[in-house]
Amino acid sequence: MNERVAIVGVGWAGFRPKTPDLSYKEMIYQAAVRAYHDAKVDPRTDVDSFVTVAEDFHEGTSIADEYTPDQLGAVMKPMQTITGDGLHGLATAVMLVRTGLCRIVVVEGHSKASNILTLDSITAYAQDPVLNRPLRLNTHMVAGLEMNRYLHESGTDEEACAAVVVKNRRNALRNPLTSFGADLTLDEVLAGPPLAWPLGVHQTARPVDGAVVMVLANEQVARSLTDRPIWIAGIGWCNDTPSLESRSWATLPYLEQAAHMAYRQAGIRTPFEEIDFAEIDDTYAYKELQSIEALGLCGFGEAGALLKEGVFDLDGAFPVNASGGSLGAGHLLDATGLHRALEAVLQLRGEAGAHQLEDVQVALVQSWRGVPTTSGAVAVLTN
Amino acid sequence: MSLLQPDPQAPSVWRDNLPVTSRYTYGLAGERFFRILKDEGKIIGSICAACGATYVPARAFCERCMAELTEWTDVGLVGELHTFTVLFVDMEGRPLDEPELVGFVRFGDGGILHKLDADPDDLQIGMKMEAVLKPKAERIGAITDILGFRPVT
Repeated sequence: MNERVAIVGVGWAGFRPKTPDLSYKEMIYQAAVRAYHDAKVDPRTDVDSFVTVAEDFHEGTSIADEYTPDQLGAVMKPMQTITGDGLHGLATAVMLVRTGLCRIVVVEGHSKASNILTLDSITAYAQDPVLNRPLRLNTHMVAGLEMNRYLHESGTDEEACAAVVVKNRRNALRNPLTSFGADLTLDEVLAGPPLAWPLGVHQTARPVDGAVVMVLANEQVARSLTDRPIWIAGIGWCNDTPSLESRSWATLPYLEQAAHMAYRQAGIRTPFEEIDFAEIDDTYAYKELQSIEALGLCGFGEAGALLKEGVFDLDGAFPVNASGGSLGAGHLLDATGLHRALEAVLQLRGEAGAHQLEDVQVALVQSWRGVPTTSGAVAVLTN
Repeated sequence: MSLLQPDPQAPSVWRDNLPVTSRYTYGLAGERFFRILKDEGKIIGSICAACGATYVPARAFCERCMAELTEWTDVGLVGELHTFTVLFVDMEGRPLDEPELVGFVRFGDGGILHKLDADPDDLQIGMKMEAVLKPKAERIGAITDILGFRPVT
């Protein structure tokens, strides 16, 4: 078995709130051409298999996986679609390489959110049809319920959640791949319109369009293609019960499990000490704090205070979402995990530009599929 | 960057939609839960003899140990408010004229997610909440047979 798998090329298109000029295929094509150029591979001759992440209701097309090969150069090639987050796609690509079946695998994720005219209705259609959906409630209620219980049990306050927004949107001002960079005050965030109290509109990432493509290779091929491979040292994933009735409302046990899986592979015992920075879930501001804790970077209920002390700032001891996160860049739906992995790759290569972190060698990447899911995926990347 | 140059004069989009209509089988446990809610005005759960968990609403199998659940229990109409939220948008994302109070009321190891009939300022996590049911003649065997929960006075 081939033990080590590297990311040898990355490409992206976007990210912006609307893409009226490009079809989703053209957007993916742009990202793919960029990734293949970066990796110095020809998809028609060099790539052994392709993985995309896509969800039919987001695509607006039934059996959307049938529409994935052409824009990637994957016609007449092995191709599969994962209905999951981008990191689930990355995990699938890693496995294809590690089996030895494939030398080079491409993974793709995208969002054409601006073409989805009924996103809230689609998300509501993900609620349990018998127990929950008949109440005709917006699915942000799941986040409101979770945030309220998380604050209650952990002792975290609303100011800490607002501080996540201030940090991430300020970080976004340094990153050209973001749309929502802003220099806000805590009061401005807290005084914003409510969405699902205690959750406010400003604490909720807005969907954007974009595509991310990555080229993965086994160690031998990676070393022949590039002198700066980014290794996938560990990757894990886990789901809790889908039931709103039996899940935990304050903690993320599935994310703890996903992290254990990734840390075990990467040989990480003390993540805060051994990892340099993280790009993690901030779909809702409180999720960043809850995820920091579930990832074992601090104890339960400690993330809010550490964040307020500046530990997770761009120049802090452990930068979290230096890219601006989803609050700063916007949420790329199913491609969100790949967006975070992309930002981590750019940091580890020293190509992050104005938000580049100094001397970083190990990155933590994490993603969640959003309400109403309990699905977590974690990757550890090294340079 | 643009590898493909758009023509600003060109027609830009095609619109389409799909009416999706499905039916959802309640199943053995669901049918029992909703029949007893409709006929007797009771909330029932199921108990896992193997691991001791009480599932509310009742289900046919234990998600923790995969045992089949055959023991049913009436959990009453009063549970504990585990968490709550105030929703300011409707199912489609449009602003609501009247915000909606929603809570998760704990029964056993499960509970019921439903609307709350209360002043939000009076709500406290951990307080006792009572299910308000529709009159028997109007109940159809659905989660909407419960109108919501209100604080126990």
